[in-house]
Amino acid sequence: MRRVLLTFLVLAIAAVVATTAAQARPHRTVAGPSGNVVLSGWASSGSEFDFLTNVVQDFEKKYPNIHVTYQPINGNYPQAMLARFASHTPPDVFYVDSSVAPDWMAAGVLQPLNSYFSKFHFSTKPFFPRLLSGFTYKGQVYGLPKDWSPLAMEINTSMLQKAGVGVPTTWPALIAAAKRMQVTNAVPGGAPICLSADWARLLPFVYQAGGSFLNKAGTAPVLNTPAAKKAINFYVGLATSGLARTPDQLGSGWCGEALGKQKAAIIFEGNWALPYMHDTFPTVSYATYAMPHGRARGDLGFTTSYSMAKDSKNKAAAWTLLSYLTGAQGMKKWTDQGLALPSRSDVPPAAGRSVLIKEAPYSRAWSFFPGFSDVYTVMNNDLTAVFQGKKDVQGMINDIQAATVKALKK
Amino acid sequence: MSAEAYRVRGGRPGRAREALVGYAFVLAPMAVFGVFFLFPIGYAIYISRYNWGVYGSQGSVGWHNYGWVLHDPIFWRSMRNIGEYTAWVVPAQMALGLFMAVIVNQKIKARTFFRSAFYFPSIASSAAITTIAIFILNADGLLNKALSLVGYDHHTPWFYTTTTAMPTIAGLNAWTTSGTMMLFYLASLQAIPNDVYEAAAIDGAGRWRTFWKVTFPLLKPGHFFVAVVSILGAVKLYDQAFIVSGGTGGPDYATLTPVLLLVQEAVQNIRFGYAAAMGVILLAFMVVLTLAQRLLFGRSEAA
Amino acid sequence: MTAIEPESFGPPAAAIDNLVTGNVDGGGPSRGAIPGRARSERAIRVGAYAAMTAISLLFFIPFLWTVSTSLKTLPETAYFSLLPNHWSLQAYHDVWTKYDFARYIENSAGLSVAITLITLVVAGLGGYAFARLRFPGREILFFGVLATLMVPDQLRLVPVYEMLVKWHLINTYTGYVLIKLGLATSLFLMRQYFLTIPKDLEEAAKLDGAGYFKTFWRVMLPLAGPALAAVTILEFQGAWNDFFWASLLLQTPDHYTVQLGLAQFVFQYHTEWPKLMAASVIAILPIVAVYLVFQRYFVAGVASAGVKG
Repeated sequence: MRRVLLTFLVLAIAAVVATTAAQARPHRTVAGPSGNVVLSGWASSGSEFDFLTNVVQDFEKKYPNIHVTYQPINGNYPQAMLARFASHTPPDVFYVDSSVAPDWMAAGVLQPLNSYFSKFHFSTKPFFPRLLSGFTYKGQVYGLPKDWSPLAMEINTSMLQKAGVGVPTTWPALIAAAKRMQVTNAVPGGAPICLSADWARLLPFVYQAGGSFLNKAGTAPVLNTPAAKKAINFYVGLATSGLARTPDQLGSGWCGEALGKQKAAIIFEGNWALPYMHDTFPTVSYATYAMPHGRARGDLGFTTSYSMAKDSKNKAAAWTLLSYLTGAQGMKKWTDQGLALPSRSDVPPAAGRSVLIKEAPYSRAWSFFPGFSDVYTVMNNDLTAVFQGKKDVQGMINDIQAATVKALKK
Repeated sequence: MSAEAYRVRGGRPGRAREALVGYAFVLAPMAVFGVFFLFPIGYAIYISRYNWGVYGSQGSVGWHNYGWVLHDPIFWRSMRNIGEYTAWVVPAQMALGLFMAVIVNQKIKARTFFRSAFYFPSIASSAAITTIAIFILNADGLLNKALSLVGYDHHTPWFYTTTTAMPTIAGLNAWTTSGTMMLFYLASLQAIPNDVYEAAAIDGAGRWRTFWKVTFPLLKPGHFFVAVVSILGAVKLYDQAFIVSGGTGGPDYATLTPVLLLVQEAVQNIRFGYAAAMGVILLAFMVVLTLAQRLLFGRSEAA
Repeated sequence: MTAIEPESFGPPAAAIDNLVTGNVDGGGPSRGAIPGRARSERAIRVGAYAAMTAISLLFFIPFLWTVSTSLKTLPETAYFSLLPNHWSLQAYHDVWTKYDFARYIENSAGLSVAITLITLVVAGLGGYAFARLRFPGREILFFGVLATLMVPDQLRLVPVYEMLVKWHLINTYTGYVLIKLGLATSLFLMRQYFLTIPKDLEEAAKLDGAGYFKTFWRVMLPLAGPALAAVTILEFQGAWNDFFWASLLLQTPDHYTVQLGLAQFVFQYHTEWPKLMAASVIAILPIVAVYLVFQRYFVAGVASAGVKG
């Protein structure tokens, strides 16, 4: 036993020496006024990592004095970022999801950008206003949307054909199409529609009925209206009638997987589903269509910004990177690769994305107020309970209203 | 010269020297304990009395955070969840671990093979195992396919049904940690000399009786250790709950554990003070639990 | 005297005397003496072996599925199949060339070995002291050690992170090793084990004039083989499989451990299963090796009997 321990000891010393020596190698220093910038975020796929690396390399060619270290964070992104904010050692430029933006802006960890706009004559006009507003707080802009995606309706075209229905464009048509699919057994072993027990998928239907989550000023919840209730009952009705099932009931992690596994014919997902289907389920034939409409058209826009850290040590270079990535040229390089839609009106989307872009005028940002996560937790847990028959719709609405009022008060 | 005489001769300077050596030997762990545990706990108690944001205090709230935590029904739901989970997982872990340890402690053929097989689930990281388990326990996954062969055709999504979510996680963890518990019990089993078994055999005790009357009681230090480690590990459940529910604690709060709630408060709501209060309450709960264990199961080790 | 309570299994006094004087002859009642006993014994044996083998295979199934998935292509992983339809080593090739896994393994190995070794020494000394040496406040300090098991990592996160930033230990191996020295379980295990070793051995050593450290190093430590083996396996595996602290403290890819490397294959909406499984297979091998080596120290009845009082 002792001999083994001694061998271990020698190995350990060797390992420690080796790794200390590796650490001692001097860091590459870049001469010149601009210096090092750390870019961070998360990678939603291997392709995203590769694509962004390409864009960064183009940037470095254009600005040879700035060296960018691209370090996406694996794991719990908000947790890792908060630790870095708290220790005043954040990355210089990084992603901020629109749903957490209100909290991060209120916490003061992001650098206000208005002064950079005026100093460097950077115009924010081309950005879609609804997307930009998600990153504006008390008159200051704290991030520029790097891309976005609305929800769309993806339908398995062969199953649609089998059922002998056309593409549904209204709520009644959706129900009728799903019923036909059931009757003709177009989705063996699955369900015509896949619906998530998620308010981030339910809310567009509320907008389509003419309802809303918050009032225009954003100061109070308005879910207790006939319009909102109509939408919620429609959505829940699809699930309880068996025309729709949740992803876990279809053996999938999300509806995109259900579509790929051919356990559902109709799903409501965004641009992120397209590369996923292409990589994971290349043989499934499906097409993207506009969301159905109720009384009106309505949709949600999911977006992420590039923002600068308040504690960034190299703000000048960070601004150069940020403005490049969100400028017309940089954004085009990024969105041409098809992972998301451009958030600027002067950048054309990649091929095959026109349906999604057409949703832009009706899309409202998925971004509300600081402390929204608590409300979102109540929303989804209650919706799950409603789907499983353990709660009624009015009870859910009451819970959400109460939670919203409480959160807005803080 | 008898041992007693030697000790008496040691006298007071002997005691002082023994104490000094004792302190020297435990210096390193105590330093780690002080710096990386005591200090953070103190820090947590400090900030729990404030509204604490990313960059520091946003105003004192006295001890009110504790009051708010204790009045939060969601906090109590998470405590109920973890109580249910612990009640499932701890007996399962201990029983499985002991069972496997006894088996692989025998001089049986292919002992190494069995030891490796039993330990295997513990080897992989919890994240990897959970990801695989999600796949196998899907509505149309391997387990449900096997169950439908024996007539259970319900295709339950085990991790996503409110009644089965926590017990499924408990089953998964019992299975993956049983190898580690097996190791602990194995070490304890090794401390029992062979002669004890021989004496029991001479006395005519069968295998079963030998186990219950001889081995089991002699394993008291092992039982205490495994029980404490098992319970404390169970109360701190986070990883699997996070992965399975995607960080939400769903479906319908079924997998919300206290630590998951703590992380949600700290990271999503950026309420470090409130989260710290929750953590301190959880810590106090575990201290009381461990003390109770020690008192109930008494002087299980030579003082 | 050995640490046995005679009341609990009640052999006749003569047997205990035999124990003390070492006058024991092995074996139990001769097996073949009772008619029919031999055959039922064998039937039980075969049954037991069959059951254990079945259980073992069950435990191996996830690993087999891991290997099998690592040999598939991504679209094929959507559906469950035990064996790949198209065998492909592409995943292994990608993992080794496109991702810096050799470096990750090097990092993980160095860190795990260092943590394990330091823990063995510190837990050995500490466990012995808590079990056998008397010093004021011993019980309180030991409870303090236990208390560290009660603190969730997530609660410690922010203060620990800020401390490491202040001491410039973020993204360093030193900082990571310091944080991962959890020690509580290993200390606890060593103490519990040392408590079961008969006191006579130490007293014999003292009579021979050995000091505290020599007694520890030459007498107690060699006897603690199984406990040391358990600590080795535990610490190595704990360090190797850690993700939480590694993801927070090791921030540049050249410092990444194997687990951080594995996380690169798990994304928001999908997992690159073949690469993840291939990397997992590579990642598991060192732990298996450590385990196979050290489990040999769990030899039945290693504690010596016949201790002279």
